[in-house]
Amino acid sequence: MDQGTEGESHGGSPSAVAPEPVRFTGSGAEYFGIWIVNLLLTIVTIGIYSAWAKVRRLQYFYRHTELAGSSFDFHGSPIKILIGRLVALAMLIAYNYTVRIQSVWTLAVVGGIALIMPWMLRNSLRFRLYNTSWRGVRFHFRGSVARAYRVFLLYGILSLITLYILAPFMHQRVKAYQHNNSWFGQTRCSFHARAGQFYKLYLLLAAAMVAFVIVVGYSGVFGAFAALAEAQKHGQRVNPYATFRALAILYGLLITIGVSIGPVFHALITNLIWSSTRVGEHRIECNMSPLGLIWISFSNLVLVAVTLGLFIPWASVRMARFQLEAVRLIPAGDLQQFVDAEPDQVGAVGEEAASAFDFDISL
Amino acid sequence: MLTADYFDGRSTRVRVVRLEVGGESLLISGEDIDRRVPFSEVKVDERLGRAPRRLRFADGAFCVVSDLNALDALLASIAHHDGWVDRIQRRARFVLLCLAACGVLAVAAYKWGLPWAAEIGAAHTPAGIGVKLSDQALEVLDGKILLSSRIGEDRRRQLNAKFHALRLPGGGTEQAELLFRRSPQLGANAFTLPDGRIIVLDDLITIVGDDRQILATLAHEAGHGHGNHGMRMLLQNSLVGAFLAFYVGDISNLLAIAPATLMQARYSRDFEAQADDYAAAVLRLNGMSPGLLADALDKLAKSHREGAGAAYLSSHPATDARMHHLRSQ
Repeated sequence: MDQGTEGESHGGSPSAVAPEPVRFTGSGAEYFGIWIVNLLLTIVTIGIYSAWAKVRRLQYFYRHTELAGSSFDFHGSPIKILIGRLVALAMLIAYNYTVRIQSVWTLAVVGGIALIMPWMLRNSLRFRLYNTSWRGVRFHFRGSVARAYRVFLLYGILSLITLYILAPFMHQRVKAYQHNNSWFGQTRCSFHARAGQFYKLYLLLAAAMVAFVIVVGYSGVFGAFAALAEAQKHGQRVNPYATFRALAILYGLLITIGVSIGPVFHALITNLIWSSTRVGEHRIECNMSPLGLIWISFSNLVLVAVTLGLFIPWASVRMARFQLEAVRLIPAGDLQQFVDAEPDQVGAVGEEAASAFDFDISL
Repeated sequence: MLTADYFDGRSTRVRVVRLEVGGESLLISGEDIDRRVPFSEVKVDERLGRAPRRLRFADGAFCVVSDLNALDALLASIAHHDGWVDRIQRRARFVLLCLAACGVLAVAAYKWGLPWAAEIGAAHTPAGIGVKLSDQALEVLDGKILLSSRIGEDRRRQLNAKFHALRLPGGGTEQAELLFRRSPQLGANAFTLPDGRIIVLDDLITIVGDDRQILATLAHEAGHGHGNHGMRMLLQNSLVGAFLAFYVGDISNLLAIAPATLMQARYSRDFEAQADDYAAAVLRLNGMSPGLLADALDKLAKSHREGAGAAYLSSHPATDARMHHLRSQ
C-alpha cells in the first residue's frame, strides 16, 4: 500500500535519517479509570462536565502518542468546548424540531445550517489543529473561508446532483484543502494524492458492495423482504414476526458491512491520504493492515456489546494503538528545527457543531 | 535528581536537563540552560495514566518528565497537591465506586428519571405540536395503511355518541375525537395519536361486537390520551436514543440502535397498565364493570390465536395478566 510514493520524485532528500514510527503507550485499564470518572461526572452534571471530559480524553490519547521520543499535547479550553456544545445543541434541537414539525421555518433552519456549515467546518479544523502541539510547537489551519464554501458547499451540491459520481473527487478536494492548509509551526504541509487514486478505491468499494449484495442474494436472505413487500402489495395482514425478522436481518447485514467492507475501505483510504501527505519535506507513511482493522473492529464490537459498554475504554485504546502505530514519519532532515508561529484565536463552536451533525473530518 | 526534556515553546529543539529543588524554586540545568523558576510560577499538568507530565512556565517553556515516581517525590517536597479528579481516576477503589455509582444512576434514570423528565416535558409541550405531529402521521398513513371505514354511518354515530357521553373521573365528558378507519394490515386495532385523537379500526368493532365492550376499549385508548402517553413515548425514545449515541456512538452508531428498541418495551407495558387503570375508573364511574375491557381483550386474544387481528396484541403484552387484573377489580 504505497500509492502515495509512486511516481513522486525525491531527488534531493537525504536518506540517512531513520524513519520515526509513531508509538502509542496508553493502556485500557488505565484509561478505564479516566473514562468512568468522566462518565459519572457527565451524568451527574447533566452533560455540562462533558466538555472537561473531552479535554481529559483527548489529553490522555495525545500525551500517550509519541513521535521521536516526544509526545503530542492537546490544549483545548473546556469552557470554549462547552460554549461550542451549547451552540451545537441549540442548532440540533432547532434542526430536529423544524424537520419533525414542518412549517415555513423548516426550510429557513435547514438552509441556514447548510449555509453556515462550511464556515463551521473550517473553524473546527482551526480549533483542532491550533490546540494540538508536539514538542511545544503548535499546528495551525490557514484555509480560507471562500475555499471552505467551494469545497464543502459547491462540491457537496455537485456530488449530490451527480448521484455521488463526484463524491470521490469531493473527498480528494476536501483532503487537499485540509492538508495543504495545515501548518506545523512555520512549516507548511502538502497533499499529493490525485482524484484518480480516490476513484480507484471508491470503485473497489462499489465492487465489494455489489459482490456482497449478490452473495447475500444467493443465500436467500432477501426472501424475508420479498415476502413482506408481497404481502403489503396485496393488502394482506402482515405477520409482526415477519416484520421483526426482516428488520433483524437488515440490522445484521449493516453490522456485517460495518465490520468487513467498512474497515477495509477505511484502511485503504487512510493509507492513501496519509501516505500522500508531507510536513514540509518530511514524508508520512501510513501502512494500516485492512485485515488487522477488520479484526479490531469486529472484536471491539462483540466485546463492547457483551460487556454492555464496559469494554469501551479498551476498545478505544486498541483502535488508537492500531491506527497510530501504522504511521511513520520519514524525516528529510533534523526534527529539531521546526519553529512556532503566531498564536491563533479560535473558538470551539465549529468543532462541536460539526461533531453534533456527524461530519467526520477527523484527522 | 530528576532528568527531563526541556522545550522553549518556540522550537522543537530538545534539551536534556536536570531538575532540582532549591529553596522556593525549581532549578533547571543542562545544555545551555540554567533557569531558576519560583514554584508559584510552575504549573504542573495532572497525571493521566503513564503519560509524561509537563511542568509549564509562564513564558511558554516547559519540561516533560517521564519518570513519574521521581516527579511525585519532587512534587511532594514542594507540597504540591494533585486535583481531586486526578486522584480518583487512578485509584482502583474510587474507580470501582464510580462504576457502581454509574450503574445505580443508570438504573435510576431509566426507572424514574426518564419517565419523570418525559412527563414534565410532555406537559410543557404546546398542544399545537401534538396536533401537528398527529396531522403529519395521519397524512402519511391515510390512503396507504389506513383506508376509509366500511362500518355503517349509523353505527359510527351511535358509538361516537356513547363514547362522548362517558363521564370522566375528573369531571366533564370525554372530548377526544374518534376517527374510523379500516386497515387490512393492522387488523383489529385502535390507537391514540399524540394529540389524543383515537383511531378505531373496523376489525376491532366487528370482532368485539358488543358496544359496551367496544366502549371499554375506547376508554383504554382515552387513558393513553389522558396520560399524554404518545408525547411521553416520543420524548423518552429521543432521550434514550441521545444517551446511547453519546455512550457507544464513538464505537458504533449501529450498536446504539438495538438497545434503544429493546428499552421501549418496558415503558409501553407501563403505559398499557396505566391506560387499563384509567379505563377501569371510567367504566366504574359510568356504572359498568372493568371486566368489560377484559372481555374485549379476550376476544381480541382469541381472534389473534385464530390468526386474525395480530397487531393489537403484539403491542399489548401479557394479556392474561391484564385480564386477570381487570376482572379482579
